Amino acid sequence: MSKLRNVAVVGFAQLPVVARDEHRTATEMLYPVVRQALQECGVHRDGIDYQIAGSTDYMDGRPFGFVAALDVMGAWPPRQDLHLEMDASFCAYYAWVRMQAGECDTAIVVGHGKTSEGDPQRVLNLQLDPYYQAPLGLDPTSTAALQASAFLARGAATAADLAAVAARNRNNGVRNPDNQLRSPTTANELAQSPWAVEPLRQGYLPPVGETATCMVLAAEGKAETLCDKPVWIHGVDHRTELQTLGARDLSRSAGAKLAAERALAMAGLAKAGDVDVIELMAANPAEELILLEALGVDPRAGKPSINPSGGALCANPVMSTGLIRLGETFRQLSGRAGEHGVAGASRALAHAAQGHCLQTNIFWVVGSQRRWS
Amino acid sequence: MNEPPKEGIKYVETTVRLPYHYVAGDYKALYLLALKEKRILGSKCDTTGKVFVPPIVASPESFAPCSQLVEVADRGVVTTFCVVNIPVIGRNLELPYVAASVALDGAAISIFALIQECKPQDVHMGMRVEAVWKPDGERQGDHEDIQYFRPTGEPDAPPETYINRL
Repeated sequence: MSKLRNVAVVGFAQLPVVARDEHRTATEMLYPVVRQALQECGVHRDGIDYQIAGSTDYMDGRPFGFVAALDVMGAWPPRQDLHLEMDASFCAYYAWVRMQAGECDTAIVVGHGKTSEGDPQRVLNLQLDPYYQAPLGLDPTSTAALQASAFLARGAATAADLAAVAARNRNNGVRNPDNQLRSPTTANELAQSPWAVEPLRQGYLPPVGETATCMVLAAEGKAETLCDKPVWIHGVDHRTELQTLGARDLSRSAGAKLAAERALAMAGLAKAGDVDVIELMAANPAEELILLEALGVDPRAGKPSINPSGGALCANPVMSTGLIRLGETFRQLSGRAGEHGVAGASRALAHAAQGHCLQTNIFWVVGSQRRWS
Repeated sequence: MNEPPKEGIKYVETTVRLPYHYVAGDYKALYLLALKEKRILGSKCDTTGKVFVPPIVASPESFAPCSQLVEVADRGVVTTFCVVNIPVIGRNLELPYVAASVALDGAAISIFALIQECKPQDVHMGMRVEAVWKPDGERQGDHEDIQYFRPTGEPDAPPETYINRL
């Protein structure tokens, strides 16, 4: 692996995830988060070179809603800006690439979206093709159930495993004050909740939630001045699979496997099990098990710690869920995770996904030391 | 088998229906409620003192909060305008009509407004105008509460008073 530029996460802020913020628009929710992230880094807006946002206007129902967000991002005098209709974790990747190209030294990455104002299931149905799949009324819950069925049918896990994974996440999530779900539960209790779409039960799925997020990234030389414990990016890779659901083996995630292998190789690690913490964006327990299989990690081994934050099952604010995973690894490695902190963590893996049935996956490997000298 | 069909299905028609239920946001809710009382609210930048109408929570220019709501006048000055000669979807207005930017007295930026009760060719930059409100009991707390603006007959405002409020 050739030598790359050391880039670090130096700040992360989010609002606690709620079902519905009755008092603020998406832009109004984002403003205090950007302020807080910059304030914690001790940097003024003119210290930021580049900005990028992850949001989708379909979710907010506001044409050019992402442009409205510029008003609260400190973007004056004008600076370079980009917007992706993807989870903000993918935005962080773009900012990282810009830094590798030497085009900027500092960046803010934001995620925003008010899922409660529209109907996310209907909106996400439109990600499918308009000829065969979308008209069937497939929504992300039903395609996730198709994937979970394929996974169970392959004999890779049992229904009881799904309940156990969901319960572990939910109980981890009790200690994370930013979560929407914070009540302890048991696998037995979740296994008795009503079906959402079989084989997924309502207790295995996160409720609709919304928040706003802001991460600050900085290259070596700047990062040390902005944060007492920068969390350095050691490796990253993302892969996209086919759009046609029937053309993929839904019981596996070939894209996640390849992306993880490439990210680990960039980080100089032999296997995913070499990290201390893994944060996965799995919106149901079958996704988590498929991802862990792709990583070659046994969730029963106890190490690495998987989703100490509670993961996406405790809070799934569309467009920010993946960035929160990366933000959580920053919190873990910089001593900012509070009650859900994993003692002694110095390496972590953060994942995000986009599209139906884990269509696109990104993996980040981060560490408390610089990767390249 | 692979020949294109001679007749039959050429198109797939799909109706996309996405309902939304927007939160107004506290600032806009207060602004809209005030319109019912013939009052126009703005928000004042904590750093520069500039007043934005309708109110916004932060100044895009200074990045500071606008934590104070203030009332501005329901009259001001035409800063720029255009004469519309083509029908606009959803608006049943007699052509031609004038759409203008109006900087209300006390506001740092202008709002969009119709100018009526004068000939289109008489509208000009610097012209003083005032709001014509819907009658009491008919205002709903929306932007239609101001029907349009009309000339006040006051002397024109000098350009330096509005050139930075276009």
